[in-house]
Amino acid sequence: MDINLTYNVPMQETFGTYIAVYFYLTGLSAGSFILSSLRYVFGFEKFKPLAKPGVVLAAILLIMAPLALLIHSGHPMRAWHLFVFINPSSPLSWGSFLLTIYPIVCVIYAYFMFKENAKMAKIMGIIGIPSAIFVHGYTGVVLAVAKARAVWATPIMPLLFLVSAMISGIALMMIVCAIQGYFFSKDKKINSELLFTLGNMLIWIIIFDLFLVVCDMLTHYMGHKGGIEATIHMTTGFFGFTFLVVEVFIGKIIPMIVFAIPGLRKNWIYVLMAVIIMIGIFVMRYNVVVGGEHIPLV
Amino acid sequence: MKAIKRYGMIIDLTRCTGCHSCELACKLENKVPISIWRMWVKEGVKGNYPDIMRVYLPILCNQCDNPTCVTVCPVKASIKRDDGIVIVDPHRCIGCRYCMAACPYGMRHVNPLLGIVQKCDFCLHRVTEGEKPACVISCPNGAMIFGDLSDKQSEISRYLAKHRVTVLKEDTGNLPHVFYVNLDGELADKKGMPE
Repeated sequence: MDINLTYNVPMQETFGTYIAVYFYLTGLSAGSFILSSLRYVFGFEKFKPLAKPGVVLAAILLIMAPLALLIHSGHPMRAWHLFVFINPSSPLSWGSFLLTIYPIVCVIYAYFMFKENAKMAKIMGIIGIPSAIFVHGYTGVVLAVAKARAVWATPIMPLLFLVSAMISGIALMMIVCAIQGYFFSKDKKINSELLFTLGNMLIWIIIFDLFLVVCDMLTHYMGHKGGIEATIHMTTGFFGFTFLVVEVFIGKIIPMIVFAIPGLRKNWIYVLMAVIIMIGIFVMRYNVVVGGEHIPLV
Repeated sequence: MKAIKRYGMIIDLTRCTGCHSCELACKLENKVPISIWRMWVKEGVKGNYPDIMRVYLPILCNQCDNPTCVTVCPVKASIKRDDGIVIVDPHRCIGCRYCMAACPYGMRHVNPLLGIVQKCDFCLHRVTEGEKPACVISCPNGAMIFGDLSDKQSEISRYLAKHRVTVLKEDTGNLPHVFYVNLDGELADKKGMPE
Protein backbone atom coordinates (compact mmCIF):
# COMPACT_ATOMS: atom_id res chain seq x y z
CA MET A 1 0.00 0.00 0.00
CA ASP A 2 1.24 3.48 -0.78
CA ILE A 3 2.35 5.49 2.19
CA ASN A 4 3.44 9.10 2.26
CA LEU A 5 4.86 10.92 5.24
CA THR A 6 3.12 14.13 6.21
CA TYR A 7 5.16 15.02 9.29
CA ASN A 8 8.60 14.06 10.49
CA VAL A 9 11.61 15.70 12.10
CA PRO A 10 14.93 16.08 10.25
CA MET A 11 17.96 14.36 11.71
CA GLN A 12 20.85 16.45 13.00
CA GLU A 13 24.23 16.13 11.37
CA THR A 14 26.42 13.90 13.50
CA PHE A 15 29.93 13.55 12.06
CA GLY A 16 29.99 15.88 9.11
CA THR A 17 32.86 17.46 7.21
CA TYR A 18 35.26 17.90 10.13
CA ILE A 19 35.40 14.17 10.77
CA ALA A 20 35.92 13.57 7.05
CA VAL A 21 38.88 15.99 7.19
CA TYR A 22 40.21 14.18 10.25
CA PHE A 23 40.01 10.79 8.52
CA TYR A 24 41.72 12.26 5.48
CA LEU A 25 44.61 13.69 7.52
CA THR A 26 45.21 10.48 9.51
CA GLY A 27 45.10 8.54 6.24
CA LEU A 28 47.71 10.80 4.66
CA SER A 29 49.84 10.51 7.77
CA ALA A 30 49.70 6.71 7.88
CA GLY A 31 50.37 6.45 4.15
CA SER A 32 53.39 8.75 4.23
CA PHE A 33 54.80 6.99 7.29
CA ILE A 34 54.67 3.62 5.56
CA LEU A 35 56.34 5.11 2.46
CA SER A 36 59.07 6.64 4.60
CA SER A 37 59.66 3.28 6.33
CA LEU A 38 60.39 1.56 3.00
CA ARG A 39 64.00 2.71 3.16
CA TYR A 40 64.86 2.18 6.83
CA VAL A 41 62.77 -0.89 7.64
CA PHE A 42 62.56 -2.78 4.37
CA GLY A 43 65.84 -1.53 2.93
CA PHE A 44 64.69 -0.27 -0.48
CA GLU A 45 67.46 2.20 -1.29
CA LYS A 46 65.42 3.64 -4.15
CA PHE A 47 63.03 5.31 -1.69
CA LYS A 48 65.73 7.06 0.31
CA PRO A 49 64.77 10.61 -0.83
CA LEU A 50 61.27 10.07 0.61
CA ALA A 51 62.28 8.84 4.05
CA LYS A 52 62.86 12.20 5.72
CA PRO A 53 60.02 14.25 4.19
CA GLY A 54 57.72 11.25 4.72
CA VAL A 55 58.22 11.03 8.45
CA VAL A 56 58.11 14.81 8.94
CA LEU A 57 54.83 15.00 7.05
CA ALA A 58 53.48 12.02 8.98
CA ALA A 59 54.17 13.75 12.30
CA ILE A 60 52.83 17.14 11.19
CA LEU A 61 49.65 15.72 9.65
CA LEU A 62 48.94 13.69 12.74
CA ILE A 63 49.39 16.68 14.99
CA MET A 64 46.96 18.59 12.75
CA ALA A 65 44.37 15.81 12.60
CA PRO A 66 43.08 15.99 16.21
CA LEU A 67 42.53 19.74 15.76
CA ALA A 68 39.67 18.83 13.41
CA LEU A 69 38.29 16.66 16.22
CA LEU A 70 38.52 19.50 18.71
CA ILE A 71 36.65 21.86 16.36
CA HIS A 72 33.96 19.23 15.82
CA SER A 73 33.55 18.44 19.50
CA GLY A 74 31.01 20.44 21.48
CA HIS A 75 33.28 20.78 24.51
CA PRO A 76 36.94 20.88 23.42
CA MET A 77 38.09 21.85 26.91
CA ARG A 78 36.84 18.50 28.22
CA ALA A 79 39.19 16.53 25.97
CA TRP A 80 41.06 15.33 29.07
CA HIS A 81 37.98 13.25 29.95
CA LEU A 82 39.09 10.86 27.21
CA PHE A 83 42.17 9.89 29.21
CA VAL A 84 40.49 9.67 32.59
CA PHE A 85 37.10 8.07 31.96
CA ILE A 86 38.05 5.18 29.69
CA ASN A 87 35.42 2.98 28.07
CA PRO A 88 37.14 -0.14 26.66
CA SER A 89 34.17 -0.99 24.44
CA SER A 90 34.41 2.28 22.54
CA PRO A 91 36.78 2.58 19.55
CA LEU A 92 37.04 6.34 20.17
CA SER A 93 38.51 5.56 23.56
CA TRP A 94 41.27 3.46 21.95
CA GLY A 95 41.81 6.23 19.45
CA SER A 96 42.61 8.81 22.09
CA PHE A 97 45.61 6.68 23.12
CA LEU A 98 46.66 5.79 19.58
CA LEU A 99 46.57 9.46 18.62
CA THR A 100 48.92 10.19 21.50
CA ILE A 101 51.38 7.35 20.98
CA TYR A 102 51.73 7.57 17.21
CA PRO A 103 53.09 11.15 16.91
CA ILE A 104 55.60 10.38 19.69
CA VAL A 105 56.82 7.30 17.80
CA CYS A 106 57.01 9.43 14.65
CA VAL A 107 59.13 12.08 16.33
CA ILE A 108 61.55 9.55 17.86
CA TYR A 109 61.83 7.78 14.50
CA ALA A 110 62.52 11.09 12.79
CA TYR A 111 65.15 11.94 15.42
CA PHE A 112 67.13 8.76 14.78
CA MET A 113 66.76 9.19 11.04
CA PHE A 114 68.15 12.70 11.09
CA LYS A 115 70.97 11.48 13.35
CA GLU A 116 71.72 8.85 10.64
CA ASN A 117 71.39 6.11 13.25
CA ALA A 118 70.05 3.43 10.86
CA LYS A 119 69.80 0.67 13.45
CA MET A 120 67.64 2.60 15.94
CA ALA A 121 65.63 4.09 13.06
CA LYS A 122 64.82 0.58 11.92
CA ILE A 123 63.65 -0.41 15.41
CA MET A 124 61.45 2.68 15.70
CA GLY A 125 60.14 2.04 12.20
CA ILE A 126 59.17 -1.50 13.16
CA ILE A 127 57.24 -0.05 16.12
CA GLY A 128 55.88 2.74 13.94
CA ILE A 129 54.36 0.68 11.13
CA PRO A 130 51.83 -1.16 13.35
CA SER A 131 50.94 2.07 15.13
CA ALA A 132 50.42 3.78 11.76
CA ILE A 133 48.14 0.92 10.72
CA PHE A 134 46.24 1.07 14.02
CA VAL A 135 45.89 4.83 14.07
CA HIS A 136 44.24 4.81 10.72
CA GLY A 137 42.56 1.41 10.98
CA TYR A 138 40.72 2.37 14.15
CA THR A 139 38.94 5.17 12.30
CA GLY A 140 37.46 2.49 10.06
CA VAL A 141 36.40 0.57 13.17
CA VAL A 142 34.73 3.73 14.52
CA LEU A 143 32.45 3.75 11.51
CA ALA A 144 32.07 -0.03 11.29
CA VAL A 145 30.62 -0.42 14.79
CA ALA A 146 27.94 2.22 14.23
CA LYS A 147 25.57 -0.54 13.27
CA ALA A 148 22.63 1.68 12.41
CA ARG A 149 24.20 3.09 9.25
CA ALA A 150 24.35 0.57 6.43
CA VAL A 151 27.10 2.40 4.51
CA TRP A 152 29.39 2.34 7.56
CA ALA A 153 28.55 -0.94 9.22
CA THR A 154 30.68 -3.21 7.09
CA PRO A 155 33.63 -5.27 8.38
CA ILE A 156 35.85 -4.28 5.45
CA MET A 157 35.56 -0.58 6.31
CA PRO A 158 38.95 -0.54 8.18
CA LEU A 159 40.64 -2.30 5.25
CA LEU A 160 39.01 0.06 2.77
CA PHE A 161 40.30 2.97 4.82
CA LEU A 162 43.82 1.57 5.01
CA VAL A 163 44.05 0.95 1.27
CA SER A 164 42.79 4.42 0.45
CA ALA A 165 45.27 5.78 3.00
CA MET A 166 48.07 4.08 1.09
CA ILE A 167 46.79 5.59 -2.17
CA SER A 168 46.66 9.11 -0.78
CA GLY A 169 50.00 8.65 0.97
CA ILE A 170 51.75 7.57 -2.23
CA ALA A 171 50.14 10.42 -4.16
CA LEU A 172 51.35 12.88 -1.53
CA MET A 173 54.87 11.40 -1.80
CA MET A 174 54.76 11.87 -5.59
CA ILE A 175 54.05 15.56 -5.07
CA VAL A 176 56.79 15.72 -2.41
CA CYS A 177 59.21 14.01 -4.80
CA ALA A 178 58.43 16.57 -7.52
CA ILE A 179 58.73 19.57 -5.19
CA GLN A 180 61.95 18.21 -3.71
CA GLY A 181 63.46 17.69 -7.14
CA TYR A 182 62.27 20.91 -8.70
CA PHE A 183 63.09 23.33 -5.89
CA PHE A 184 65.55 21.75 -3.48
CA SER A 185 67.90 19.48 -5.44
CA LYS A 186 71.24 20.65 -6.78
CA ASP A 187 70.48 20.18 -10.48
CA LYS A 188 66.80 21.31 -10.17
CA LYS A 189 65.67 18.10 -11.82
CA ILE A 190 62.85 15.84 -10.72
CA ASN A 191 63.80 12.27 -9.85
CA SER A 192 61.66 10.80 -12.66
CA GLU A 193 62.59 7.21 -11.94
CA LEU A 194 61.21 7.43 -8.40
CA LEU A 195 58.11 9.27 -9.62
CA PHE A 196 57.37 6.55 -12.16
CA THR A 197 57.99 3.76 -9.61
CA LEU A 198 55.46 5.35 -7.26
CA GLY A 199 53.00 5.61 -10.15
CA ASN A 200 53.51 1.92 -10.89
CA MET A 201 52.83 1.05 -7.25
CA LEU A 202 49.66 3.09 -7.39
CA ILE A 203 48.27 1.06 -10.32
CA TRP A 204 48.16 -2.10 -8.23
CA ILE A 205 46.91 -0.48 -5.06
CA ILE A 206 44.13 1.28 -6.97
CA ILE A 207 43.12 -2.06 -8.52
CA PHE A 208 42.94 -3.59 -5.04
CA ASP A 209 40.95 -0.60 -3.79
CA LEU A 210 38.47 -0.84 -6.66
CA PHE A 211 38.09 -4.55 -5.94
CA LEU A 212 37.24 -3.75 -2.29
CA VAL A 213 34.77 -1.03 -3.31
CA VAL A 214 33.02 -3.41 -5.72
CA CYS A 215 32.90 -6.13 -3.03
CA ASP A 216 31.47 -3.67 -0.55
CA MET A 217 28.77 -2.38 -2.88
CA LEU A 218 27.89 -5.85 -4.15
CA THR A 219 27.46 -7.37 -0.69
CA HIS A 220 25.38 -4.37 0.31
CA TYR A 221 23.23 -4.66 -2.78
CA MET A 222 22.56 -8.35 -2.23
CA GLY A 223 22.16 -7.97 1.51
CA HIS A 224 19.42 -6.69 3.78
CA LYS A 225 17.04 -3.83 3.18
CA GLY A 226 19.28 -1.14 4.64
CA GLY A 227 22.16 -2.29 2.44
CA ILE A 228 20.08 -2.10 -0.74
CA GLU A 229 18.98 1.38 0.26
CA ALA A 230 22.62 2.33 0.87
CA THR A 231 23.76 1.07 -2.55
CA ILE A 232 21.00 2.96 -4.33
CA HIS A 233 21.84 6.08 -2.33
CA MET A 234 25.52 5.87 -3.24
CA THR A 235 25.18 4.93 -6.91
CA THR A 236 22.03 6.40 -8.41
CA GLY A 237 20.82 8.54 -5.54
CA PHE A 238 21.97 11.75 -3.92
CA PHE A 239 25.66 10.79 -3.70
CA GLY A 240 25.76 9.07 -7.10
CA PHE A 241 27.70 11.84 -8.83
CA THR A 242 30.33 12.33 -6.16
CA PHE A 243 30.76 8.60 -5.63
CA LEU A 244 30.73 7.14 -9.13
CA VAL A 245 32.02 10.06 -11.19
CA VAL A 246 34.33 12.06 -8.90
CA GLU A 247 35.61 9.37 -6.54
CA VAL A 248 35.73 6.24 -8.66
CA PHE A 249 36.07 7.47 -12.23
CA ILE A 250 38.09 10.70 -11.96
CA GLY A 251 39.87 9.87 -8.71
CA LYS A 252 40.84 6.27 -9.38
CA ILE A 253 40.19 4.90 -12.89
CA ILE A 254 41.63 7.79 -14.93
CA PRO A 255 44.93 7.98 -12.95
CA MET A 256 45.23 4.19 -13.09
CA ILE A 257 44.90 4.17 -16.88
CA VAL A 258 47.29 7.10 -17.26
CA PHE A 259 49.93 5.39 -15.11
CA ALA A 260 49.54 2.21 -17.13
CA ILE A 261 50.25 3.87 -20.51
CA PRO A 262 54.03 4.09 -21.16
CA GLY A 263 53.59 6.99 -23.62
CA LEU A 264 52.31 9.25 -20.87
CA ARG A 265 55.43 8.99 -18.73
CA LYS A 266 55.97 12.69 -18.21
CA ASN A 267 56.70 14.41 -14.93
CA TRP A 268 53.91 16.96 -15.13
CA ILE A 269 51.30 14.34 -16.02
CA TYR A 270 52.28 12.21 -13.03
CA VAL A 271 52.17 15.17 -10.64
CA LEU A 272 48.79 16.23 -12.03
CA MET A 273 47.45 12.71 -11.53
CA ALA A 274 48.79 12.69 -7.96
CA VAL A 275 46.86 15.90 -7.23
CA ILE A 276 43.71 14.38 -8.76
CA ILE A 277 44.13 11.24 -6.65
CA MET A 278 44.48 13.30 -3.47
CA ILE A 279 41.29 15.18 -4.28
CA GLY A 280 39.60 11.88 -5.14
CA ILE A 281 40.53 10.33 -1.80
CA PHE A 282 39.21 13.38 0.05
CA VAL A 283 35.94 12.99 -1.83
CA MET A 284 35.97 9.31 -0.83
CA ARG A 285 36.20 10.22 2.87
CA TYR A 286 33.46 12.77 2.42
CA ASN A 287 31.24 10.26 0.62
CA VAL A 288 31.68 7.63 3.30
CA VAL A 289 31.20 9.92 6.30
CA VAL A 290 28.58 12.39 5.06
CA GLY A 291 26.96 10.02 2.56
CA GLY A 292 26.63 7.36 5.23
CA GLU A 293 24.82 9.58 7.67
CA HIS A 294 22.75 11.25 4.96
CA ILE A 295 20.40 8.23 4.87
CA PRO A 296 17.68 9.01 7.42
CA LEU A 297 17.09 6.58 10.27
CA VAL A 298 13.56 7.66 11.13
CA MET B 1 14.77 -5.66 50.15
CA LYS B 2 13.37 -3.46 47.44
CA ALA B 3 13.03 -5.10 44.04
CA ILE B 4 14.98 -3.52 41.19
CA LYS B 5 12.74 -1.46 38.98
CA ARG B 6 12.69 -1.60 35.20
CA TYR B 7 10.84 1.28 33.63
CA GLY B 8 9.16 0.90 30.29
CA MET B 9 6.41 2.36 28.20
CA ILE B 10 3.57 1.06 26.07
CA ILE B 11 2.11 3.23 23.33
CA ASP B 12 -1.30 1.99 22.25
CA LEU B 13 -1.73 3.27 18.71
CA THR B 14 -5.40 2.24 18.63
CA ARG B 15 -5.93 5.13 21.06
CA CYS B 16 -3.58 7.66 19.46
CA THR B 17 -5.30 10.45 17.56
CA GLY B 18 -2.13 12.25 16.47
CA CYS B 19 -2.73 15.42 18.48
CA HIS B 20 1.02 16.06 19.06
CA SER B 21 0.41 17.08 22.67
CA CYS B 22 3.11 14.66 23.91
CA GLU B 23 5.59 16.35 21.59
CA LEU B 24 4.68 19.77 22.94
CA ALA B 25 4.64 18.67 26.59
CA CYS B 26 8.11 17.16 26.21
CA LYS B 27 9.48 20.30 24.67
CA LEU B 28 8.05 22.48 27.45
CA GLU B 29 8.97 20.18 30.30
CA ASN B 30 12.59 19.63 29.27
CA LYS B 31 13.25 23.09 27.80
CA VAL B 32 14.38 21.54 24.52
CA PRO B 33 15.87 24.22 22.22
CA ILE B 34 14.22 25.27 19.01
CA SER B 35 14.63 23.00 15.95
CA ILE B 36 15.24 19.97 18.18
CA TRP B 37 12.80 17.36 19.40
CA ARG B 38 13.27 14.67 22.00
CA MET B 39 10.08 12.92 20.99
CA TRP B 40 7.71 13.55 18.16
CA VAL B 41 4.77 12.07 16.34
CA LYS B 42 5.60 10.80 12.89
CA GLU B 43 2.60 11.07 10.60
CA GLY B 44 1.71 9.42 7.34
CA VAL B 45 -1.12 9.02 4.87
CA LYS B 46 -1.80 5.52 3.66
CA GLY B 47 -3.63 4.24 0.60
CA ASN B 48 -5.15 5.80 -2.49
CA TYR B 49 -8.21 8.00 -2.66
CA PRO B 50 -10.96 7.26 -1.55
CA ASP B 51 -9.56 4.43 0.60
CA ILE B 52 -7.28 6.57 2.68
CA MET B 53 -6.13 6.48 6.27
CA ARG B 54 -3.93 8.64 8.46
CA VAL B 55 -1.41 6.80 10.61
CA TYR B 56 0.59 8.09 13.58
CA LEU B 57 3.69 6.94 15.36
CA PRO B 58 4.93 8.73 18.49
CA ILE B 59 8.66 8.01 18.77
CA LEU B 60 11.00 8.60 21.68
CA CYS B 61 14.15 7.05 23.11
CA ASN B 62 13.60 3.31 23.48
CA GLN B 63 15.67 2.99 26.69
CA CYS B 64 17.24 -0.17 25.24
CA ASP B 65 18.45 -3.04 27.37
CA ASN B 66 21.50 -3.34 25.13
CA PRO B 67 22.11 0.30 24.23
CA THR B 68 24.56 1.04 21.41
CA CYS B 69 25.03 4.59 22.65
CA VAL B 70 26.37 3.37 26.00
CA THR B 71 28.72 0.89 24.27
CA VAL B 72 30.33 3.50 22.05
CA CYS B 73 30.57 6.50 24.42
CA PRO B 74 34.32 7.13 24.83
CA VAL B 75 34.03 8.84 28.23
CA LYS B 76 31.23 6.79 29.83
CA ALA B 77 28.96 9.83 29.82
CA SER B 78 26.05 7.73 28.57
CA ILE B 79 24.98 5.47 31.40
CA LYS B 80 22.28 2.85 31.70
CA ARG B 81 20.81 3.14 35.17
CA ASP B 82 19.73 0.09 37.18
CA ASP B 83 16.12 1.00 36.53
CA GLY B 84 16.78 0.76 32.77
CA ILE B 85 16.75 4.46 31.94
CA VAL B 86 19.65 5.55 29.73
CA ILE B 87 20.93 9.01 30.69
CA VAL B 88 23.71 11.37 29.60
CA ASP B 89 25.91 12.90 32.28
CA PRO B 90 25.91 16.59 31.26
CA HIS B 91 29.17 17.33 33.07
CA ARG B 92 31.08 14.48 31.48
CA CYS B 93 29.85 14.56 27.87
CA ILE B 94 32.43 16.03 25.50
CA GLY B 95 30.00 16.42 22.61
CA CYS B 96 31.76 14.08 20.20
CA ARG B 97 28.37 12.90 18.82
CA TYR B 98 29.47 9.32 18.38
CA CYS B 99 26.38 8.14 20.26
CA MET B 100 24.19 10.08 17.84
CA ALA B 101 25.90 8.36 14.93
CA ALA B 102 25.55 4.91 16.50
CA CYS B 103 21.96 5.08 17.80
CA PRO B 104 19.84 2.97 15.42
CA TYR B 105 16.77 5.05 16.26
CA GLY B 106 18.29 8.50 15.74
CA MET B 107 16.79 9.61 19.04
CA ARG B 108 19.66 11.72 20.34
CA HIS B 109 20.33 15.34 19.63
CA VAL B 110 23.13 17.77 20.28
CA ASN B 111 22.12 20.87 22.17
CA PRO B 112 23.49 23.84 20.20
CA LEU B 113 23.47 26.06 23.30
CA LEU B 114 25.28 23.69 25.64
CA GLY B 115 27.38 21.70 23.17
CA ILE B 116 26.47 18.37 24.75
CA VAL B 117 24.32 15.50 23.57
CA GLN B 118 20.92 15.11 25.21
CA LYS B 119 18.16 12.58 25.01
CA CYS B 120 14.81 11.51 26.41
CA ASP B 121 15.28 10.15 29.95
CA PHE B 122 11.61 9.38 30.66
CA CYS B 123 11.58 12.76 32.50
CA LEU B 124 13.89 11.40 35.19
CA HIS B 125 13.31 14.42 37.45
CA ARG B 126 9.61 13.54 37.50
CA VAL B 127 10.06 9.78 37.75
CA THR B 128 12.29 10.05 40.83
CA GLU B 129 9.52 12.06 42.50
CA GLY B 130 7.01 9.31 41.72
CA GLU B 131 5.37 11.22 38.88
CA LYS B 132 4.84 10.06 35.33
CA PRO B 133 6.71 11.55 32.35
CA ALA B 134 5.30 14.71 30.82
CA CYS B 135 4.23 13.04 27.57
CA VAL B 136 2.26 10.39 29.45
CA ILE B 137 0.47 13.00 31.56
CA SER B 138 -0.35 15.11 28.52
CA CYS B 139 -1.89 12.31 26.44
CA PRO B 140 -5.64 13.02 26.36
CA ASN B 141 -6.59 9.48 25.37
CA GLY B 142 -4.37 7.50 27.70
CA ALA B 143 -2.47 6.03 24.75
CA MET B 144 0.83 6.10 26.61
CA ILE B 145 1.26 3.82 29.60
CA PHE B 146 4.35 4.21 31.76
CA GLY B 147 5.42 2.08 34.69
CA ASP B 148 7.62 -0.52 36.29
CA LEU B 149 7.86 -3.68 34.19
CA SER B 150 9.32 -5.80 37.00
CA ASP B 151 6.29 -5.14 39.22
CA LYS B 152 3.72 -7.68 38.02
CA GLN B 153 0.81 -5.74 39.54
CA SER B 154 1.59 -2.43 37.81
CA GLU B 155 -0.69 -1.03 35.11
CA ILE B 156 1.93 -1.52 32.40
CA SER B 157 2.58 -5.18 33.29
CA ARG B 158 -1.12 -6.00 33.25
CA TYR B 159 -1.53 -4.15 29.94
CA LEU B 160 1.44 -5.99 28.49
CA ALA B 161 -0.04 -9.35 29.51
CA LYS B 162 -3.28 -8.63 27.68
CA HIS B 163 -2.00 -7.11 24.43
CA ARG B 164 0.29 -8.15 21.65
CA VAL B 165 3.12 -5.64 21.37
CA THR B 166 5.91 -4.95 18.89
CA VAL B 167 9.07 -2.86 19.07
CA LEU B 168 10.88 -0.76 16.49
CA LYS B 169 13.88 -2.24 14.61
CA GLU B 170 13.91 -5.50 16.51
CA ASP B 171 16.72 -6.84 14.26
CA THR B 172 19.30 -4.49 15.79
CA GLY B 173 19.26 -6.60 18.97
CA ASN B 174 19.04 -3.52 21.16
CA LEU B 175 16.04 -4.84 23.14
CA PRO B 176 13.97 -1.64 23.26
CA HIS B 177 11.65 -1.05 26.20
CA VAL B 178 9.11 1.14 24.46
CA PHE B 179 6.40 -1.19 23.17
CA TYR B 180 3.76 -0.44 20.59
CA VAL B 181 0.29 -1.90 20.26
CA ASN B 182 -1.02 -2.00 16.70
CA LEU B 183 2.20 -0.62 15.21
CA ASP B 184 1.97 0.23 11.54
CA GLY B 185 5.04 -1.45 10.05
CA GLU B 186 4.92 0.54 6.83
CA LEU B 187 5.00 3.85 8.66
CA ALA B 188 7.85 2.62 10.85
CA ASP B 189 9.83 1.60 7.74
CA LYS B 190 9.15 4.78 5.79
CA LYS B 191 12.05 7.13 6.44
CA GLY B 192 12.97 10.65 5.55
CA MET B 193 11.18 13.94 5.29
CA PRO B 194 7.77 14.59 3.70
CA GLU B 195 8.08 15.44 0.00
